[in-house]
Parts: sequence; structure tokens; C-alpha cells
Amino acid sequence: MSFFRIDTQPARIPAWVLSWFLFAAGITAYFYAAEQRHRENPDDRVMPTVTQMVRAFQDAAAKPAEGQEVQEAPQSLIQRVRGSMLATDTLATARRFLISVALLFPAVLLGLHMAMFPYMGAFFLRFFQFFDKIVALSLLPILFIAFGIDELSKIMLIVIGVAPTIILDTVNLTKSVPREQIVKGFTLGAGDFAITYRIVLKQIFPRVLNSIRLNLKAVMLFLFAGEMIASTDGLAYRIALLRRHMGMDTILPYALWVALLLFAVDLGMSTLNKKLHPWFQE
Amino acid sequence: MSINVENVVVEYASRRVLNGIDLEIDAGEFVSIVGETGCGKSTLLRLILAEEHPTEGRVQVQGRERSRPDRTCGYVPQRYSLFPDKTVLANVAFGLEVTSGFWNRNSREFREEALRYLRHTGLSEADAKKYPHQLSGGMQQRVAIAQALIMKPPVLLMDEAFSALDPGTRRGMQRLMKELWRESGTTVVFVTHNTREAVCLGTRVIALVKDGERGSSVALDLEVPHLDFDSDEEELTRLIARVESASVKMDRPASMAVPVIS
Repeated sequence: MSFFRIDTQPARIPAWVLSWFLFAAGITAYFYAAEQRHRENPDDRVMPTVTQMVRAFQDAAAKPAEGQEVQEAPQSLIQRVRGSMLATDTLATARRFLISVALLFPAVLLGLHMAMFPYMGAFFLRFFQFFDKIVALSLLPILFIAFGIDELSKIMLIVIGVAPTIILDTVNLTKSVPREQIVKGFTLGAGDFAITYRIVLKQIFPRVLNSIRLNLKAVMLFLFAGEMIASTDGLAYRIALLRRHMGMDTILPYALWVALLLFAVDLGMSTLNKKLHPWFQE
Repeated sequence: MSINVENVVVEYASRRVLNGIDLEIDAGEFVSIVGETGCGKSTLLRLILAEEHPTEGRVQVQGRERSRPDRTCGYVPQRYSLFPDKTVLANVAFGLEVTSGFWNRNSREFREEALRYLRHTGLSEADAKKYPHQLSGGMQQRVAIAQALIMKPPVLLMDEAFSALDPGTRRGMQRLMKELWRESGTTVVFVTHNTREAVCLGTRVIALVKDGERGSSVALDLEVPHLDFDSDEEELTRLIARVESASVKMDRPASMAVPVIS
């Protein structure tokens, strides 16, 4: 095997083994360490065993959170799952997440206009270049004072944290469209807005979607920060709450659940991108 | 007169690129512009296109100065001539659709017209459904020409349009271009660094020549006889050699070229 050769191509099976090796090694190392700790201390809560995590996750997925109303009447499985702690938390986080991602699209339009219309660029660009450097979490107290501790402040935190990056990225993507395309548009009779929306936006859109995909983790990061500090529901709220009780048997499956959800969103966006833009080669 | 370039000077950061260019091009002419790399051929084309503006002098197309590119001039660049997100058919129909206004849009009619132009440039209905990246370089330029000509521009500007093509495809494209020019009667300004192409295509050949002392370029109207692709090879070779020697030196033979600058 030529691990340090640049002009080589791994065969199918070695490539498959290599790509899964770190997953297998990580899982094995965890369970070995957990086993050791539990042998020394059967009540260890830092590294729960698989059985403990499965049980905790089943409880989270089928039972309501502590303090929530429990229905007396017998319920179907779907009703129980819908009212469970995991579903309630996931829905609360998903709602905030989707609103935040939707709010990034106006940011894309702003970036597009800033790059296409020089006066808009002159007006906004320097401001956003500076604003992008502000650590959004440092504004959190101001946001709580300005917008209260409800949903708005959490969504604003995400928008403030991620929108400048998306705006500046869109500016760069727009500027990378060859000048020939714009000139061509003019010579075919297109006006400023036709060129902006029908030529440039259509060309950059797949890359913009990729840029949003790359920023999904940042969106989630800011969302978690907001939920951990001021929220009464949501995945991050639950993790913060369980941390106080050392509920690692729930925290670890929750962390994996969040990763799985993000992975699914990313995969969905990537598939949608390919379907919507069959011409896009990257 | 179709294009009038009057005493044009172009300077970039105190470096003079074009120095006192005077040029008159009549309607229906096919003018080839030749010159060494960096002599300002593309700059002159961009001035006619109104993508750039002269530091001094003025450029008129169809009797008026323009502030930016418009439908007066069709444009076929060497690269990026097609919109990658649109099919071949949509690329060609784009101009018709975008100029028709929202309520007068008749996509079917436009697409039929686009298909007619595509067939005329040697492409099939199957090609019409493809995206630009699925076509060869030669086919892409055929589409670009159809895309420009469908708008019936009075002037067509081509910037090294066939430079990236292999010799065989290039010859085919040259013949096609000449045929389309004869049929459409459009004024064509064709920038190339290939002398054979310039001589065989153009009814007139303009050379941009670097002035040795100043480093900026001036335009020389090389009064060469118009030859065709089927002309005698010996005569063609002799003419190419004369054009090449005239377009690299300022001290050209007096009989060879007539300066069009004062």
C-alpha cells in the first residue's frame, strides 16, 4: 500500500476499510473504556454502556419529559412518540433551525445585489466585512435585552452569526461569474435585473446552496448556544439540563441524534441541489 | 457608416495602450483585426462594444456613442460565451425571451426560431436539449454564433472566437462564419492573432502595430486583396507573410500598408 504516494488510487475494498476504520476504532475504544470503568465502579455515570444509552434513548423517544403532563388515557405508539421528550425537543429545535436557514436567503439576495450594483456594494460591503469579525456570542446579552429571551433573540443570534458570512460568500461567488456572461447578457438585450436574476443568480445558486450547507454547523452552534442559555425546550436545552444531573446516557445519544439530523439535512440539500441543477459540475 | 473610431487613446494607470486610433467601418464589411499579443486588439473590441471607454476620442456605432453594451453589437468571446445553466435551445432563445416583455412571451415561437438558427449553424434537435458542458468547443461556438445572430445585431464582434478550436473544427467554423455573414449582411469585426484566418475571412484587414518608442499601438489599414479559402495557396502564403511582417514592424514597406492615423 502506498500511503504517501500522491499518484495512487486506493482499491475499492481498502478504501472502504480505511473510510470506516476510525468509526470502528472510536466505538471500540469507547466501549472498552466504558467496560473498564463499569468494572471498577458499577454506578459510573461518565461513560454509560450501550444498554444504558439504548434504554435512555428509548425512554426519551417514548415518554414525555419530566414535569410534562402525562396522558391518563392509553395512547398509540405514534401518539406516545409524538408527545415524547425527544420529539418535543427535536421539533422545537427544528422550527428555530428552519426559520434561521430561511432567513439566510434574504442574505443571499443582499450579497448578490452588493456584488452586482456597485453603489449597493459601496454602501454595505465595508460594514459587513467588519460585522463578520464580531463574535456573535459576545452580543448575546445585548440580544436578550433587545429582543427578550424568547424565540426572536435566538433566531437573531443565528442570523447575526451566520448571515454576514453568507453575504460575503455570495458577494465573492457573484464576482466570480465571468464578465463575458454579463456583457453577453447586455448584448442580448437583458437589463440590469434580468442579468442579475436570470443569468447571475441562476449560475451561482448551486454554489450558494453549498455555502449554506457548509454553514449548517455554524447555524446549529449558535442555535445551541441560545437554547442552552435561555430556553425551556429544544435539544440543546435538554443537554444543558441533563448535564447538571450527569445524564450522560441521554446526552450522548442526543449528540449523535443531532449529528444524524444535520447529516440528513446536508444530504437532502445536496440531493436537491443535484436535482435542481443538473448542469452543475463540481 | 457602421462603426466610427475617432482619434481614440486608451491609457491604463499612465500606460498608453492605444494611441490615436482612427477607424471607419462601413455597414456589411467583414473586418479582421490582427496584431501581436498585448497590442490592444481586445481593448479596441471592448471599446466598440462600449464595455470600456476611451481616455480620449470617441467611438460611435450606428451613429451614436453608447454608455454600455447593448443590442447594437452581438458578441462572441473566446470563452464563457454560453450560459452554463441553460440548455442549448434556451441559450439561443434567451435574447428573444428577455426582450419580449413579461406579457408578450411566446416561448414556443421563440424556441422554434432558436431551433431554426441552430439547424442553420449545423446543430441538431438532439443537441438543443444538451447543456453547454456536454458539447465540444466547436459546437459551443456554433451555439454562441446562433445566440448572437438570432437577435439580428447590426454589428457582430468576435474576440478570438475560434482560437481554442482544433485546426479542422476551426476551418469548418471559418467557412460557416463567412457563409452566415454573406447571408445576414451584418457588419463583423473579427479579432484574431491568426493571420491566415484574418486574410481569408476579412474583406479588410486592420493591423494594430506597437510603436517601438512609445510602446502603445496604432492602427494600420493593410490594403490587402481579399482572398477566399479556396484561393491559390502560393498567393495566400505570400500575402500572409506580407501581413505578418507589416503587423509587427512600424517601418513597413510603404506599398504594403496605409496608416489610418494622422
